[in-house]
Amino acid sequence: MSSVSCTKLTLFTVAAVTIQFIGLSIFVFGFFPVKPLLTGHSGSESFRRPTCDVRDVSNHSDASLLPDSLRFLYQEVSEVPPLYDRLVLMVIDGLPAEFVLGKKGQPPSKVFMEAMPYTQSLLANGTAVGYHAIAAAPTVTMPRLKAMVSGAIGGFLDVAFNFNTQAYLEDNLLAQFFKIGWKMVMHGDDTWLKLFPGLFERHDGVTSFFVKDTVQVDQNVSRHLVDELSRDDWNFLILHYLGLDHVGHLGGRNSVLMASKLVEMDEVVKTIHINTLQNLENDQGKTLLVVVSDHGMTENGNHGGSSYEETDSIALFIGPKPHTFHHSSSNPDTIFQVDIAPTLALLFGVPIPKNNIGVLISQMVDSLTDDQKLRALQLNSWQLFRLLQAQLPGLSCRNLLCDTFITNIEPTISECKGREEKLFCCLYVNAATLHDAWKAKVFSRFNGTEGYNSILAAYHEFLSSASEWLSHKATDKPVNLLVLGVAALIISCLILLGLVFFIHKEIPSWETQDHENYMTPWKFDEVFVLFGILTLVISMGSSSMIEEEHYIWNFLTSTINFLFFRKAIQSLDLNKAHDILSSTEEKRNISGCQISSLFLILFTGRILGGWHQGGVNWTNLPDIAKWLEQAGNQYINLIQIASCAMVIILGISILYLVQSKTKVVTVIWFSLLMSGLLVLQHFVKHQDMSIPYNNDENLSIQVFYAVLGITTVAVVLILPWIMPMQTPEICSRKNICMSASVPVEVQNMTRIFVLKDSLYIVGCLYITFWCLLQLLLQQSINAMPVLLLFIQFLASMLTFSSSGSCHKQWVEITALYYLGMAGHFALGNRNFKSLNLPFRSSNVHHYLCIPDVILSESGAVHLCQGHDLSTGYQERKLRRNSQDPSWISLLGTADHKFCSLDCVHNCPAVDEESLVYLECFFSQVSFP
Amino acid sequence: MDRRKSSGKTTASRASTVEAPPSISVSEAFIVNALCVLGLAFAFWAANTVFSIDLVSHPSLTLFLISIAELPIVILLYSRYRQNPRQCSYLRAVGRGVLGVPVGALLNFLGAIALGAPVKFQYLPKTINWALMMSVFTTVPASCVLGSSWAEWRRIFAQTKPNGSIEYLICLPAHGAVIGAWFGAWPMPLDWERPWQEWPISVSYGTIVGYLVALVASLGFVLACFRSLHIKSE
Repeated sequence: MSSVSCTKLTLFTVAAVTIQFIGLSIFVFGFFPVKPLLTGHSGSESFRRPTCDVRDVSNHSDASLLPDSLRFLYQEVSEVPPLYDRLVLMVIDGLPAEFVLGKKGQPPSKVFMEAMPYTQSLLANGTAVGYHAIAAAPTVTMPRLKAMVSGAIGGFLDVAFNFNTQAYLEDNLLAQFFKIGWKMVMHGDDTWLKLFPGLFERHDGVTSFFVKDTVQVDQNVSRHLVDELSRDDWNFLILHYLGLDHVGHLGGRNSVLMASKLVEMDEVVKTIHINTLQNLENDQGKTLLVVVSDHGMTENGNHGGSSYEETDSIALFIGPKPHTFHHSSSNPDTIFQVDIAPTLALLFGVPIPKNNIGVLISQMVDSLTDDQKLRALQLNSWQLFRLLQAQLPGLSCRNLLCDTFITNIEPTISECKGREEKLFCCLYVNAATLHDAWKAKVFSRFNGTEGYNSILAAYHEFLSSASEWLSHKATDKPVNLLVLGVAALIISCLILLGLVFFIHKEIPSWETQDHENYMTPWKFDEVFVLFGILTLVISMGSSSMIEEEHYIWNFLTSTINFLFFRKAIQSLDLNKAHDILSSTEEKRNISGCQISSLFLILFTGRILGGWHQGGVNWTNLPDIAKWLEQAGNQYINLIQIASCAMVIILGISILYLVQSKTKVVTVIWFSLLMSGLLVLQHFVKHQDMSIPYNNDENLSIQVFYAVLGITTVAVVLILPWIMPMQTPEICSRKNICMSASVPVEVQNMTRIFVLKDSLYIVGCLYITFWCLLQLLLQQSINAMPVLLLFIQFLASMLTFSSSGSCHKQWVEITALYYLGMAGHFALGNRNFKSLNLPFRSSNVHHYLCIPDVILSESGAVHLCQGHDLSTGYQERKLRRNSQDPSWISLLGTADHKFCSLDCVHNCPAVDEESLVYLECFFSQVSFP
Repeated sequence: MDRRKSSGKTTASRASTVEAPPSISVSEAFIVNALCVLGLAFAFWAANTVFSIDLVSHPSLTLFLISIAELPIVILLYSRYRQNPRQCSYLRAVGRGVLGVPVGALLNFLGAIALGAPVKFQYLPKTINWALMMSVFTTVPASCVLGSSWAEWRRIFAQTKPNGSIEYLICLPAHGAVIGAWFGAWPMPLDWERPWQEWPISVSYGTIVGYLVALVASLGFVLACFRSLHIKSE
């Protein structure tokens, strides 16, 4: 029948699918590059010159040392004395450096200058040194925290872990401090607790999910401040303030809340700095205050991307005394965020974390002697060189490295160029040679500072080029891999498409030549299906379309059903006087049946769509589920039982549609009834969800599972072999008889009919069982949607079977797919819960201090429950309606008790109006 | 598309040899469309200046104004081109058009609900007024011209096989309004938080834009129809 045999077709299909899989995996590997990271933690070996052996033997003796002795060991071998005794790391989430340091040499805007008087004065007199710390993308809190404490840039996969934080196992500053016995305290964002569980002596975590709260999150941190500062049992204090980021999310950079938040942060800086000064006077050690932000924010207050506004985070180093730093204008004011980690490590005398790609901020070690400064740079270089060795296996400085000290000969500096391996090797050797020579006092005899400066320059050249290369390696994607993956995907798609067209060309020759419909190229529903798929693909580009995907599916499903409806009407003839031939009568019946079942689908689809509101925009509108929950549990249980009974009845009746009533069908029928009754009995017995299951009920459920499992497997395996026994009359079935006109092929055809029949039974049985299982496993509120889905499926089966070849098969399959997706969302599944979406933009323009009420000017009213953020808070966003003020009420929130109404973000245009709203709102809420 | 249209035309012309379809000259069609557009513009003007409201601030009232302004224009104009003008008086056609309002409104209302329009009580006036406007754009001209002939209605709305210039004037704007309304619903779930994203504002805008575009397109089709007739007669 065709030029290509079935085997070839299969081979092509299999090949295409395989190529698809290969392409997909290549793409995924390319998109999420796995870079070789060094495992383990740096120990005292990091204070020794990298050896020629790539696999550095780590010093096992370190592990056995007590923290105190390890600290002494480090001090001994590092040759760089710790400059400070204690460290306060103050993280201000989302603070752009522009707010404090200005942009491109310009001072920050007047509002921000005045908001932070103390910090600005510290900057002016040189006590504080501020840098624009360029953060790497993605500018989300957790990866940036990791970058700050480890000096490494994680891959993009880090974002995926942002909400499912795992403990950070790679080498980092906190682990190093912990090893030398530091006591650490953390107050603020609980991301730290998730990243470093068990490292903190004391902690108070606040969650960053709740963006509407801009006050309490920071009060929860600051309330510990005085107490912590008065204690001297910690070495490392982390304060993570989230409020500024929340202000940004609410109102953007120029929010009116921003200045007051900066004032608050300035107060904190002042408190800490005054405390450090007091400590210094009392001889309680030197404290370094480091104020950093994890990322910046865009004009609207969002972050995550890699624009300048987002990556422009701050790093402020505030020492106790002004003369600590020689403020010189020659130093650059821009560093990388990863530079913080090695700087802190060297300042506090711990090994630099293994995967660090940052470079020491040389201005920070200005108070050291020249020897010590060079030593610090050397340590940094060694660490980076080790990392390079791991990432560039071909780093072939072997002979150079293994050379012993170059002592008395004049150091030679070679011009460095070539490939990465050669370049880094050359740069490193240059710096090392110069340094060795300096140590041997060869250079200093000739020209003192000049030689010293040349070493500094050599080190910096190596460090900056190595750091740059490493950071590119971490974030750059291998483009050729991506292209290869996409190309493979496209090729496989083309093959599959070609196959589809090929099969399509073959079909009309032997099946559908009698339908002239087939000849018309495109029909409305087909165009729509293709268009719908395209729109879905495009809509995935918009985050809000993903949030509201359920509405899109509902919309598409209803539309395609309307198109089917239109099609059914096309053949519907109401003119009874036209002619009374039996064929027209039958046709009319068929289209009438089609129309009524389409009506049923549309109706049930609408109920399903209204069952659960969700997504983000309309999540608080009343829906049937909330209404039922309000009405009471007994109604839900009644509906559940009724739905279960209906599913059983429908399931049994569709089995009866099969003409052949034999023992097999009876057995299936019986098992269906039995499992259905088991579920029903479970519902009747188990109406109150609070009572725990007992063994008796467990048994009945187990019996249900057993019946279900056995029947589903047995039916597939046995049915096709048993069915042929009793099928002589099967040919009389109406819907399949139209092509059975050739007597010679009757034998063949009956076999096909038998297969069709058994497939029909299997399909019906599976669907019924699926519904029963869903009824059992879903929440009781979802019992009705399951039933409605079942009805929808049956109705569409009826429509498609009665329409004959009116629709093409792929259109029907797509329609069923749409139906299934709409059903998936109708059961309450959502891509996002509004709770999980802290990053919503709205504009805050007015800030009136009515107790616990924040009034703003945009489009919605936000209500949130309580300060108690650790226990599942609820946020309700009610849309404002200008005509009907009474509409703002606690609709659908009967299940939440608003213990205290702490913040109401409101947004009517006029302030009086908003008060009216709040009044009528409060009058409708009864506080327990 | 073109092939389908032409084939539809030939079959339809074969079928309706019994009675010549009512025809409309290009200039008349232009006047009808221009008056429809003017009616819309007048409705917006009246809403803006007389009542000082607009679609965003007072959707249901504005929609009602649009329907009220457009309804007499549409009924009076389209009744002139009724089928079988000898058997059916002008007044009867007007009466048919008035009857078409509630029927079309009901159909559009049900359609909007099925496609996901909110069923809450507070949205009821908006949905009803929107459905009224839709019926003025879709069913009223058809009921004026076609009456209650099921076959004609089916041919024009279910099969989209208009025949003759006046049927283009019925069919295209109605389809344009429905398709425009369908596209107008797409911005609703976006998170721009604009007031016009509420039901039924963006949908009404889509309806009006689709209607206007289809009016212009129908003029083009009438022109093409006229040309082909001209060539045939020559």
